[in-house]
Amino acid sequence: MITIKHDGCIFCVGCSSVCPVNAIEAIGTRMETFPERCIDCGLCVKACPANVIRLYKGVKSEKDLTPEARMKG
Amino acid sequence: MGYDHDAIIIGGGPAGATLARLLAREGKDVLVVDKRKEIGVPVRCGEAIGVTDVQKEGIGLPRWVYSTEVRGAKLVAPNGKSIVWANESTKGWILERKVFDKWLCELAVDSGAKVKTYTRAMGLVKKDGKLAGIKLSHGGREPYEVTAPLIVSAEGMESMMARAMGFKTVHSLYDVDTCYEYEMKPYDHDNLIELYFGNIIAPRGYVWIFPKNERKANVGIGIGANLTTSDKQSGIKGADPKRYLDSYIENNPKLKDASTLLDFGGVISVGAPIDEFTKDNCMVIGTAAKQVDPIHGGGISLAIECGYYAANAALKAFEKKDFSKGLLYENYEKPWRSKVGRGLASRLLLRKVMEKLSDDDLNHIFNTLKDADLPKVMDGDFAPVVATLLVGRPQLMGVLSALMPGAR
Repeated sequence: MITIKHDGCIFCVGCSSVCPVNAIEAIGTRMETFPERCIDCGLCVKACPANVIRLYKGVKSEKDLTPEARMKG
Repeated sequence: MGYDHDAIIIGGGPAGATLARLLAREGKDVLVVDKRKEIGVPVRCGEAIGVTDVQKEGIGLPRWVYSTEVRGAKLVAPNGKSIVWANESTKGWILERKVFDKWLCELAVDSGAKVKTYTRAMGLVKKDGKLAGIKLSHGGREPYEVTAPLIVSAEGMESMMARAMGFKTVHSLYDVDTCYEYEMKPYDHDNLIELYFGNIIAPRGYVWIFPKNERKANVGIGIGANLTTSDKQSGIKGADPKRYLDSYIENNPKLKDASTLLDFGGVISVGAPIDEFTKDNCMVIGTAAKQVDPIHGGGISLAIECGYYAANAALKAFEKKDFSKGLLYENYEKPWRSKVGRGLASRLLLRKVMEKLSDDDLNHIFNTLKDADLPKVMDGDFAPVVATLLVGRPQLMGVLSALMPGAR
């Protein structure tokens, strides 16, 4: 799954435009992620101009993230 | 079967608003939904517009929707040699995007269209196996359905509903540039769009400086998203446009001490249009269909132009009460591809050649090219220019041969 640091996100929807599985979408005033759809391909990480997306390979849900990762996200 | 509206347009950007205006003007009941809280906000990318259909129609841009007028462009090689391309056809405007987008929507409303903000399309509604409407949610509240015989996706880069309709709108990393930009002040410009090329300052892209009013400028960078610079935190390799931009600004004496007034950015498409724009009861228009200029990723003028093609097809469909792919294709997609699409294809070719050039190649090209050659290149007439270039640098043959008539 990926995490988005909303703090630095410029809300450009670049990540969702390259996501092949619709796992990121602009909803309301921020980008929301759907970890259950994520295939850990990392395309959004590469596309993100603000560098605020992190990929945690193999992690399927937010509760499985390490405390450090959760802090960063 | 009774419908709530004649057409539903998803997205209130330049493409959606133009189509809405043209349909409403003919008395059609059009609903435009935009998931953003305010039309035009946040500004994504691109603020430049040339002479477009809006002007052709004689509407004219009111003074408050643009920041400044531009005369043309200045292209700068890695060694500093520049070519100025400024004539009657290169005149344009740098827009105040959020004001401009809202103004286009207001024109649509004045023509009788209905616009709803903060309203997100959640899914498609099908009746008897046919697309017949969409599910909407206003401000995250309970979803409701609206129906229409024609659904148009004008969603821009994201194009979620277009994907749901079965259009292949996902962007590949190779065909997008990732961009970061600042609005900066003070910067004294001479009303030219400045483009700086070079593999060190902006690999597979360029730094731009768009002039704005009151000594302001939009200073930005777009680089190929498939590039690899190591990102230490994630261990993933990816492009980092902000880093390149900051280092460019640091090394530009005119900008080094300037303030930033706004940070923004985005991912722009620089690839080919999607392989189909039309299906039964639906169309994709503008940037959602990847109708962008592959050289600079600009899509505003194209979006507006596309609005006209799509409106023509929609009006025929209403007249014949036939919303099949066949009719929409004949009247929108086919003419668009043969007129607009052809020009874009030659520019895509140019982009693919340009990204293979080294800084030395670029320097040679800029040293050889004359100001008068540029319009030809931009119009896709490459042969005379290529011939001149090869005289001084035959090793360019491998790269530039793709531009020769026989190769296409």
